[in-house]
Parts: sequence; structure tokens; C-alpha cells
Amino acid sequence: MFSRGTAKFFKSAVGSASKRFSTESNAKASASNLLFKASVATAVGSGISLWYLNKNTAHADMQADGLHPPHYNFPHTTLLGTFDHASIRRGFQVFKEVCAACHSLDHVHWRNLIDVAFTEDEVKELAAEYEYEDGPNDQGEMFMRPGKPSDPFPKPYPNEEAARAANAGAFPPDLSLITKARHGGADYVYSLITGYCDPPAGVEIREGLNYNPYFPGGAIAMAQNIFDGVVEYEDGTPATASQIAKDVTTFLGWASEPELDDRKKLGVKAVLLFSTLTALSLWIKRNRFSSLKNRKIVFNPPSNWNTPTKK
Amino acid sequence: MALPVKISASVINRTFFSTPNTTAAVKAVGATAAAKFTTHKSASKSSAVSITSASRTITNFTSSPKNIGYQQRFSSGFAAGPGSEKVPSFGDYTKERTNDSSRAFTYFMLGASGTVVAATAQSAVHGFLMNMSASADVLAMAKVEVDLNNIPLGKTVTIKWRGKPVFVKHRTQEEIDEANSVTIKSLPDPQVDADRTQTPEWLVVVGICTHLGCVPISDSGDFGGWYCPCHGSHYDVSGRIRKGPAPLNLEVPEYTIDGSTMVIG
Amino acid sequence: MALSAVTKSVSKFTYNTFFKRESVYFSTVVVGAVAFSIYFNSAVDNWWDNRNKGKQWKDIKDKYVKPAEE
Repeated sequence: MFSRGTAKFFKSAVGSASKRFSTESNAKASASNLLFKASVATAVGSGISLWYLNKNTAHADMQADGLHPPHYNFPHTTLLGTFDHASIRRGFQVFKEVCAACHSLDHVHWRNLIDVAFTEDEVKELAAEYEYEDGPNDQGEMFMRPGKPSDPFPKPYPNEEAARAANAGAFPPDLSLITKARHGGADYVYSLITGYCDPPAGVEIREGLNYNPYFPGGAIAMAQNIFDGVVEYEDGTPATASQIAKDVTTFLGWASEPELDDRKKLGVKAVLLFSTLTALSLWIKRNRFSSLKNRKIVFNPPSNWNTPTKK
Repeated sequence: MALPVKISASVINRTFFSTPNTTAAVKAVGATAAAKFTTHKSASKSSAVSITSASRTITNFTSSPKNIGYQQRFSSGFAAGPGSEKVPSFGDYTKERTNDSSRAFTYFMLGASGTVVAATAQSAVHGFLMNMSASADVLAMAKVEVDLNNIPLGKTVTIKWRGKPVFVKHRTQEEIDEANSVTIKSLPDPQVDADRTQTPEWLVVVGICTHLGCVPISDSGDFGGWYCPCHGSHYDVSGRIRKGPAPLNLEVPEYTIDGSTMVIG
Repeated sequence: MALSAVTKSVSKFTYNTFFKRESVYFSTVVVGAVAFSIYFNSAVDNWWDNRNKGKQWKDIKDKYVKPAEE
């Protein structure tokens, strides 16, 4: 309906324009005019595209940009998939036992894990394993107490300077938003932690750095930490390096986007509702306009209608 | 069900000017007619244009093919002059007036869109209102758990809850009896002890003096409860005001006791 | 023919029952909106849970919840 109407509109617009701008007014002229305009539009459009492509040439500088990670089928990166919550649970274990030695997770609190990967009782036990400073008490002194679900994850270092001092100048980034903050997202994180290898011939890696083709520049301060069996899963999942990497990537993806499951479900609902509304409003527009479009104009010609006018 | 719109503008035009046989000729008529109409505007003073609804006027119309030449005017059969106000029939395109299903369908579609709009709007408003409620971090801090096993008999413990001190008093039997023996009518703010506690052993009060907001001192004062050092208000073992400038009893917060765990908030 | 007769009677009944009076029509729309939102939400939720079966927390929760008497 729209397309036909739009086509008609443009046809009539082109026709009237050609009438206005040329002495000839027949169908052939307007068709060639349309063709001319279409050619000009195509030429301009392709010109701009070519200029843009010329300015922004495709390049693959692996040394500078890092190897582009392949695409992995994480369920939560698909259009309508939720997180694999069992994987979040395992990934938390990996994070706690491996990553948390150097990396912080500032934006995640213990309570965030409740009804995501742990029960409330389990979270209380997990939090109570750590000591937090609280206070001041009646005497105005700070004191230590076991953690509560409302506390954030403990930090491995009190500040950035301490972290750099402990890691030979390198600062382990906070992992709260890491899958959002890196190009490639979950694919990059997975590729990075599984992608350590020997440097190719001719590439020199300084002492204290490690070669990783997925890391921009190729030399990363973080050493390989994920190996087969580096953790032992409580649910009996074989702890291969790729399984561990997958689980911790899923966990970090959840830390970045804890609202993802609800967001996607809400998106489905919104798309369904609004497409229904669009269809209904199109129908109602037709219905309301039908009385207007059914109008009939009757012309009563004058009595001298047939008499030719003299020049 | 038949949709009400079956006649597009082009169909009407074609029917109206349907003297020529071919579509190309129809187009030519349209072009020349438009041009001629403006030319003869001055001459056609007595002409009238009337609009009628297609469904109302139903007159049969017959047309006879005529040649349309260049500069030919409207010399067709249906537009031939006075007394020939014949209107083409749109009978093929109009609907039966007796057909109620189309009307019901129209109302159904209108009602359905209203329903979906209302449901969507309700969901949107709900989302906005939920946005105003307390956020998760506030809710997480709003409750405090107290392990009652750590409070020996006769002791009072101060707990921080939403930035305020809360006194949890483990009362002895003598204290309970004392709280119940008071003549209620003689109190400045009369309240039975049973109304202030869930179980008699545990008294929970917000530790803010109702006078000017100082924090009273536990287990002191003339009545064995609390004593406010700022202006000398005395509270008894039930947290009720007995002496001094404070107007009201100490406030009792919401709490639940489940076994040996008390949750305040 | 029979089908059109059925359509006619159904539409006539619907029209006379729900659409004829403005107040009834409006009430029908409001009640329908409530019913529709409940039905729609539960339908989408069911489809969603079915599509992501085994991945969500409620599917694996039973493995980790300790019995209440502990």
C-alpha cells in the first residue's frame, strides 16, 4: 500500500517537475528525466562511497591491533539467548580462584550473585569468607568484620599504585565491564586467555612480557593462567582450559551486563507489541480514509460547453 | 471479510472518464481535460461542482465510446450539458448496507488496537513507577541481621541500622515484671509493654531520644532503662518516657524474630 | 454460504453485546487490556523459558538449594 502510493507520488512529482522545467510534456520526457536523476544519484552515491573507502582503507596490522578474534557461540551473545547460569557459577569459581589474585571486580556486589548463580545462603557464606573494614564503633575506631551480601567483591590491591608496584608496572584492569570495554567482547576475552603461544620468528618479546597474538601489540604483561585442571569444578564438569576460559568469559559477560536476560525478554515483548500496533494503525488509517477516497465529484458542465472559444 | 476500501482514486477517474476504450486514451483525456478545464474557467460561470458520497447516489451510467482527438473538449456522453447530470454507478464497489459483519469488524479492530495500546501504556507506566522505588543497593542495606545468641541475658547491644543506633535489650524476668507493673495511666505516653515487644525477653528500640535526637545511654537512669545525657530524659526498661522533657516513648522499629536470628527492617 | 451465515450471526451477536453501547465497549476494551497483558506476558515468558531451558537460574536452582530443615 505504502510502496505503491509512494511510487505514484514520486512519479507525479517527477512528471510535474518535468512539466514545469521543460517545454515538452509527455511521458517519454519524464521517464528519461527520471532515468537521468537516478543516474546522477547513483553516481554521487557511489562517488561518496568510493571516497570514503579510499580514505578508510582496510588494513590488517596484527602487530598493532591484535589478531581479530573468531566468533564463538556463547549463548548470551545470540539474539534471543540468555546466560548459561551454570556456566556463570563455574566462572565465578574460576574468577575467585584465578583472576581475583590480581584483578578487581569493583561494580559487582555479593548480593548480585543471589538468584543468578548462587542461593542467598551460599552468598552469605561466600561473603563471610572475607574481612571488611567497618565502623566507626562506639569508641570511634574502625574494625574488621566478616563480609555481608551488601559488600562489594574484595579488591586485590588497595589502589592502582599498589597494583602497579606488585605487577612490574603493569596495571591489571578492573574486570567489571571488560566484555563491554574491549573490541570483540566475549570473543576477545576468550581468545586472549586461551591464545598464548610462542612468538613467531623475528618477534622479540621483552623480559616479563608474554606473547599473545590477540593482544594489541602482541606483548601482554599478564602471563598465561588458564591451564587444564587449574580449578576443580563442584558439578563434575571436566576442567579443560577451554572450558575454564568459556566459563570465566561467561561470568565476566554477566558482570558487564547483569540485566541482559531481562533486557532481551523485554525487547521481544516490545517488538511484538509495537509491530501489532503498527499493523493495526495502518489498517485504521485505511479505514478512516476510505470515506474520503470514495468521494465522487460530479461536474455539471455549462450550456455553452460544446461551443469552441474563438482566438 | 471484505475491506471497505476497494476503490482507489485511479479507479474512480477511469470510471468517470471512461469514454475511450484504451488506458492510453484515458490518460490523454486526463491530461487534456485538466488543461482545458483551466482554459475555460472564465466561460464556465454556470458550472457547478458537487460532491456526493458514492454509496448514496446510485444511478446507472452508460457510456458510448467517442473519439478523443487533440483539442477535443468534454463532448462525451455523460458530460453533454444541462439535464444530463448522470452519475456513474459505483455499485460494484460499494458494500451492502445490510451487512453488519463489516461494521462489527471495524469496531473489533478499533477495540483491539485500543486494547493493545492500553496494555502497552500500562506496562510503560508500570516501568516508570518501578523506577522510582528503592534501588537494590538501598534495599540490601535496609535490613540488618542480629544473632541473638551473642546477647547475654540482661545486656543491651547497640546496632547500626540505616545510620541510626538501635538498642536490642535481652530483658530478665524481673525487668519484664517491672515493665508490666507500671500504672499505664500515669505515663506521659501511655503504652502497654506487650504492645512494644513481640516476645517479652527482647526489646528493640531506636536509640534516638524523642526530645531533640540525642543518643541515650543504656542501662542507666532512674528507671533502669535509658538516660539521655543532653536534657535528662529517663526511659524505663520498656523504652517508655518516664521523666524529663521528651514527649514520646522510644520508637520501636519493624523487626522479625526467627529462631535465634532477628532481622531489623 | 453456511460460513457467511455463521459470520453474520457471530458478528451480529458481538456487535450487540459489546459494541453497541459506548460504556460497554469502553469497559470491554479496558478489561480486554488487562486480560491481554496478563496473557501476553505469560505467553512470552513461557516461550522464553522454553527457548532457554536449562540455562536459567530457576532451571538449575534445585541442585543448590539446601533442604529447609538444615
